[in-house]
Amino acid sequence: MTAALPPSSQGRGGLDSVIYGALRKIPTTVLWIIVMTWSLPTVGILVNSFRRRDDQRGEGWWRVFGDEGGLTLENYRAVFDAKSTNSLNESLLNSFAIAIPATVVPIAIAAFAAYAFAWIDFKGRKWLFIGTVSLLAIPLQVALIPLLKLYVGGAHLTLPLFDKTITLFPDLGLVNTTTAVWLTHTGFALPFAIFLLHNYISDLPSDLFEAARIDGADHFTIFWRLVLPLSVPVLAAFAIFQFLWTWNDFLIANTMAGTNPDAIPTTIRIANLAGDFGRNEHLLPAAAFVQAFFPLMVFFGLQRYFVRGILAGSVKG
Amino acid sequence: MQKLFDTLILIVAAVGISAGVWVGANLLFDQVHKNWVRFSALISFVGGFVVLLLLQGNRLLQSNGPSSDSITNFGELIWTPVLGGLIVAALAVLVARTEEALTRLIVGVGSGLIVGVAIGLRLVEEARPEIEAGWLIGWTVVVGAIGAGLGVLRGRGWTTGLLWGAAIGWLLGAFAMPDLGSGSVTEAVLGAAVPGLLLGLRVGRGKNTDRLGRGRLDTRSRATIFVAPALAFVAIALVAPTMLTLWLSLKDRDSEFFVGIDNYRSVFTDVNSFDIGAWSAIFTSRLFIVGIILLVLALVVGFARRLQSGSGFEAGGPAFAPLILSSVLIAFAVFSVLRGTILNNVWWVFTVTVFSTGLGLAIAVLADRAKFESAAKSIIFMPMAISLVGASVIWRFMYLARDTSKPQTGLLNALWVGLGRLSTGSGIPTTVGTVVLWLALLGTLAATARSLVRRRWDHVALPAIATVFLGWIAFRYIGWLGEGIGGFREGADGAIKPDTVFFVQDTPFNNVWLMVILIWIQTGFAMVILSAAIKAVPTELLEAARVDGATESQVFWRVTIPQITTTIGVVVTTLIVLVMKVYDIVKVVTNGNFGTQVLANDMFQQAFTNQNRGVGAALAAILFFSVLPVMVLNIRRMQRDS
Repeated sequence: MTAALPPSSQGRGGLDSVIYGALRKIPTTVLWIIVMTWSLPTVGILVNSFRRRDDQRGEGWWRVFGDEGGLTLENYRAVFDAKSTNSLNESLLNSFAIAIPATVVPIAIAAFAAYAFAWIDFKGRKWLFIGTVSLLAIPLQVALIPLLKLYVGGAHLTLPLFDKTITLFPDLGLVNTTTAVWLTHTGFALPFAIFLLHNYISDLPSDLFEAARIDGADHFTIFWRLVLPLSVPVLAAFAIFQFLWTWNDFLIANTMAGTNPDAIPTTIRIANLAGDFGRNEHLLPAAAFVQAFFPLMVFFGLQRYFVRGILAGSVKG
Repeated sequence: MQKLFDTLILIVAAVGISAGVWVGANLLFDQVHKNWVRFSALISFVGGFVVLLLLQGNRLLQSNGPSSDSITNFGELIWTPVLGGLIVAALAVLVARTEEALTRLIVGVGSGLIVGVAIGLRLVEEARPEIEAGWLIGWTVVVGAIGAGLGVLRGRGWTTGLLWGAAIGWLLGAFAMPDLGSGSVTEAVLGAAVPGLLLGLRVGRGKNTDRLGRGRLDTRSRATIFVAPALAFVAIALVAPTMLTLWLSLKDRDSEFFVGIDNYRSVFTDVNSFDIGAWSAIFTSRLFIVGIILLVLALVVGFARRLQSGSGFEAGGPAFAPLILSSVLIAFAVFSVLRGTILNNVWWVFTVTVFSTGLGLAIAVLADRAKFESAAKSIIFMPMAISLVGASVIWRFMYLARDTSKPQTGLLNALWVGLGRLSTGSGIPTTVGTVVLWLALLGTLAATARSLVRRRWDHVALPAIATVFLGWIAFRYIGWLGEGIGGFREGADGAIKPDTVFFVQDTPFNNVWLMVILIWIQTGFAMVILSAAIKAVPTELLEAARVDGATESQVFWRVTIPQITTTIGVVVTTLIVLVMKVYDIVKVVTNGNFGTQVLANDMFQQAFTNQNRGVGAALAAILFFSVLPVMVLNIRRMQRDS
């Protein structure tokens, strides 16, 4: 509120106007103090990521100009050094192996379903849709452990009345693989994705669909040629949200692949690095920045879509 | 390099197979209109393949079946289904090409018989049933009758339903009821052949589907193709696991015996998750006393105003700020004394929700119409892009505490120790500090006095509170209310030594320092949403209020705030759900040690470290039931919005 004072106080001379002038600046000053405070932690770690180990341990980052060694890229080199045990390389690949399928596959599946719920007339579609959307209420923690057991040993149903066991889902050796992680992400993302895409797709003008049907287009063609191209904005918003969510996820990856060093994404790698605090403390700032690099690129490059995606995604369970 | 290649293959395969199956299904159903015979062949192949795959996967078919427990040899698994599927497809082509009713009936029944007998012959020894005629006939009649009844109910006639029902009933009676493994080949063939015959009869009786039927089939199958992948994923990943968790929460630690609500009871009686034993300490805590004083003040001011002008506790009034502040202080007093996992979660929800929303609103208002508004908002919003793990690492460096003989490398401890040095030392820096503090104190005092003199009651509370707070600091700084302020301690010999705060380890307020991390992240979210809502308030409304002589703060509290209450509700409910599930920060920073345990982390420790599945599931269920009401509200709102 830059105009926080009553208009009647304007136009007086002398000391009073000086005080008013000062008071008037308070809101902006407070805002910038908050903004500075907000950026301090990030700035601090960014500065530290360019300092030598001994400098980091000797003095705080705000004394960076007194450093004897000057700035260095050593930490980043160590983080990308494939031969080092501290390397992030493999976990970066894993992060991509998780985030890309976990973004593309749910979008595709949700788009099909959203289209069917919006424009294919079939029995029970209203109830199926409501049922799917209400699954948003389930916190994923509730589903994680049984799902892990599904990956570990498959699913077997024992018919109590008949005392027979049937294998519903075989043990495919999925546990501790990136596949298990993105499959899980896909399942958990769907209720929200369907809800979001359905909102958009069902708002497309119905004349369009009637015209296409008269021209003899079937559902597959309509979906492919009409619905997908028209839904690009909402698909982009969801894709950004989902990419960030899966890239930054720790919980699901840790549950599904946490014990296999070959399958863990960057978030777990960094948490482990932080775990043996002390030895690799000086690499943490650089590692944290490498991990945050792609999300930050998305943030600064596609800010408009990013905001839309985050806002839309904030309701996800 | 190898890893990069593998990763690429994995990604392409994952996306490609998913797309391939789906497009394939669509192309398959394109054949309904284009070529009925081809469609019959393809769909029969798929059907036969799936049924045989299930049988093979359950190790019910002979021979090249997999030997180990886990199915690893793909070739072994796939052979029989492919071959069988081809045979079924060939028979289906025969049926589909036959138009004449009697021939069709014969071909259909024959095909069904062939497939049934073949499966019966191939059943492994352990799967051969010792058929009991009573069960067999009983199930066939009962399920057949149900099928017929359903057929009549749906207005489709009873024959089709009867045939399906009888086939299923026969299968149940033959294979599900008796002991498997003690029967003969004849019995196995009998069990499998009759259902095949019945289904063959069903196919052979009908005519080739006509144009209308094909249209209906097309619509229905498209709907299935479009919806089925999503429903399958959701059923496997969400519905079934959730029900399983709820069920396991009622069983013991190894999920063997049913224990009722014992797990829930043990959660609520465990001092680690729910400890209110020290409750009396609440009333002696400093926070509580200050909170109560503020509360009394707020009430006095509020009621006085009510007598005077009719409204005393409205938002933005003189009693408002003290009221909010006192409730936060009292809540903190309560939560710092009552400890435990569940209460920690409540503390998290309270603090992060209140502060993120409040700060987000404040920043949205401050930034509105400020210069470089979007730059300021970008910086506040940026933490949303960083992972919770990354944020935890970042804040770890803020909270570092080192041996006091060395310089502090954590910013907060450096400031704290510096302040301690300043206030207990002497010389020019200390004097400068004194002067700055007293000038600030004079400023707030002047602001309070000014509001009092001008009878601007709405503006009294905040400067007054600031004055008291600053006054306390200033007096301590010069050594009047205890010795100095900041990070130091007095040694036994009276010497002053620097002292640090262990932000992460010192119970109970280390919880608050962890919450700060989430507040740092979520304030940006609250700000963006609230800022959009504020900008959407119609300008005419604001202008009208100003013309009527409302001050800017009155405009804000009485026009803007009521206009954005719905949005505030959205932010609050979203944050409650999100904070309730907090996990990453606690896991990375303390792993639940030092009295910072929360439900989500406790659940994983119970399930994996303690190997207690029952209690783990109960904790998950508690989480579920506590977010459920808020989520239901949220979903209903979203559906109303759309």
